[in-house]
Amino acid sequence: MSAATAARRGIGRVSRRAGPVRRRERGRRTAWVFSAPFLVLFLLMYAGPLLAGLGMSFTDLRSTDVRHPLDVNGVGLDNYQRLLHDDAMRKAAWNTFFFVVTGVPLTVVFGLAAAVVLHSGIDRARTFFRTGYFLPQVTSIVGIAVAWRFLLDPQSGLLNETLGAIGIHGPAWLADERTALPSLVAMATWRGFGFDMVIFLAALQGVPRELYEAADVDGAGRWAKFRRVTLPMLRPAVLFTVVYSTIGYMQFLEEPFVMTKGGPLDSTLSASYAIYLQFGAGNYGYAGAAASVLFLVIVALSFLQFRVLRPKHV
Amino acid sequence: MRRQFAAGLLAAGLVLSSCGRDGAAGGDKAKNVDTSKASGTVTVWAQGSEGERLGAFAKRFEAANPGVTVKVTPMGMDVAHDKIISAIAGGATPDVSMIGTTWMGELAKTGAVDPTPGNLIDRSRFFPGSWDTVTFNGTSYGVPWYVETRAFYYRTDLAAKAGVKPPATWQDTQAFAKAVKDKAGASQGIYQNYTVGSWQELLPLVWQSGGDILKDGTWAFDTPQMVQALTQFQSFYRAGTAPNKIDVGAFPSNFIKGQAAAFYSGPWMIYQLDQDGGAGFEKKYDLAPYPRGSAGGTSLMGGGDLVVFKKTKNRDAAWKFVQWLSDPKTQVAWFQTVKDLPAVQSAWSDPALTSDKRVAVFGETLKTAKTPPPYPTWDQIAHVLETEIQKVALLKESPADAARTMQSKADGIGTGI
Repeated sequence: MSAATAARRGIGRVSRRAGPVRRRERGRRTAWVFSAPFLVLFLLMYAGPLLAGLGMSFTDLRSTDVRHPLDVNGVGLDNYQRLLHDDAMRKAAWNTFFFVVTGVPLTVVFGLAAAVVLHSGIDRARTFFRTGYFLPQVTSIVGIAVAWRFLLDPQSGLLNETLGAIGIHGPAWLADERTALPSLVAMATWRGFGFDMVIFLAALQGVPRELYEAADVDGAGRWAKFRRVTLPMLRPAVLFTVVYSTIGYMQFLEEPFVMTKGGPLDSTLSASYAIYLQFGAGNYGYAGAAASVLFLVIVALSFLQFRVLRPKHV
Repeated sequence: MRRQFAAGLLAAGLVLSSCGRDGAAGGDKAKNVDTSKASGTVTVWAQGSEGERLGAFAKRFEAANPGVTVKVTPMGMDVAHDKIISAIAGGATPDVSMIGTTWMGELAKTGAVDPTPGNLIDRSRFFPGSWDTVTFNGTSYGVPWYVETRAFYYRTDLAAKAGVKPPATWQDTQAFAKAVKDKAGASQGIYQNYTVGSWQELLPLVWQSGGDILKDGTWAFDTPQMVQALTQFQSFYRAGTAPNKIDVGAFPSNFIKGQAAAFYSGPWMIYQLDQDGGAGFEKKYDLAPYPRGSAGGTSLMGGGDLVVFKKTKNRDAAWKFVQWLSDPKTQVAWFQTVKDLPAVQSAWSDPALTSDKRVAVFGETLKTAKTPPPYPTWDQIAHVLETEIQKVALLKESPADAARTMQSKADGIGTGI
């Protein structure tokens, strides 16, 4: 807006030197043409629905109104107030919080550890491990669910049989309120750390050897080198994986959807799942309000992480 | 820029607040159809195995009505509801669609479905409970296609080993569960679903105690009969004769393995058990009607209905196809194709249905089976019930408290009419 005005003013003032300005105009037009495919898609598929969701969160729109979506009543902030007093939504918010604060560090740390070990430790079978760790990432969640249900089965599961062999009576992991959510965190970590590992592996290759040599000269040990050289150099990669995992985990839905259906007693109900259920029940206004809140929280969290983790320039 | 955005939002808000609903919809009048000769194309949506098989089945209709083409689009069971709602929003509905029996209130309220023509379908031919599923606010909006109801599945071998017969009353059920657990090695006793879909376990118990979940058009959950039903349901968990520490996916393999000796479910389980149980398993189990409570053995009615959308371009042919599907002969043929139980009572005298004793149990049960009210908010109410049922099953809440919570949450949601 302000740029466009400035340009127009510019035309008036330097009319004699029309050549370069016209060229700049043309360049700008070309830029718009090139970005148009993305912009159109973004406006239609992302910004549009986002604003529609925000708009309907201030109404009592329900699935029975779909033929005349504008013939609804505005309810102000009622939907948002209802959110605060909805037990299921509060439980879902807490579960999502728990999932993020345990899942994100675990995933990033496991991803980093695997990357460091593969980068410097294991020479043989490196491809094998790299593929193996990345495999869950590209496996269908349905297949993963079947495998993990076998693993966690209270009677005949591998985990409880192993525990039984050393005399511990394992719980019914997914059917117990206390262990259901941690079980899903473990599953999500296992499923997700391979992706972070690949990012870290790429970043590790970008760390200049000279830095390590200089550290060697200074007599740094392995841990000191990792702490003072590797980690600082990986800062952008850490930022990316943390933001990326957080956004993903804030919206976790597949794990409880295929494993527990949100139970027992909503102990694995996530924010996304609760929103999904409200949409399914036809409460579009209420679901829109919940989705807007989730969106704002994710934006705020990402912003915060960028502030805290951005590369420091000395 | 930012100020413009805020102004836009404000404008949108003003537009919205100036609209508002113009009172209740309704006033739908059923118009007659001319079915003398149908022609053109009829597009049909159907989900699950019905969607897969209806296309080939409809060839018989095309043969009897030259000039008509029926195009069937199968839908996934899990996406069907959303797909239909989106189609209504976009004005892109098919001519005919199969719908779940609890969706009618919601669809009728959108104003997108055509009331059942009075000159076409005789409602007295259907099971009364199934006709209730197509009726909303006194108007009928479709036709029952097939029905489902629930009965008591039990392992005959384990019952024989424990020396018990299938239970006839609520008291017998507890004795049955204890006997199979103590004497026949069924470690879990009997299986009752207490997670997703558990409202289907509870509603029959309420009706069997002589109660109902509606009173004067609003929800009535805080009733003595509801407390009785929940107490009966919970008694199995209290006595340790029903499992509440098993995974979501443990059923029905726990029945096939003999850990659970009985469960309540619908006709589809016959075919699933025959398939999953392996050769000879059909000799190891049988069906019995629901054990009777103080007010009888009322079961739950479900199934699928057929609706015609108002936007149809071929209304006459669409309704003619629906009429054909609800003809007794077609209903028997459809049962032989996908094992869907006929919604038309007279179809049940056909040998195809009387010959299988297990299916015949459902035929008896259907005569008195009832259905939850087809209110637009039913899905949410069902979810409320499921939450409380789970607390009751896990012994975390007393039946009386659960009934009270159900009531207060349901009051908050309302009937949606």
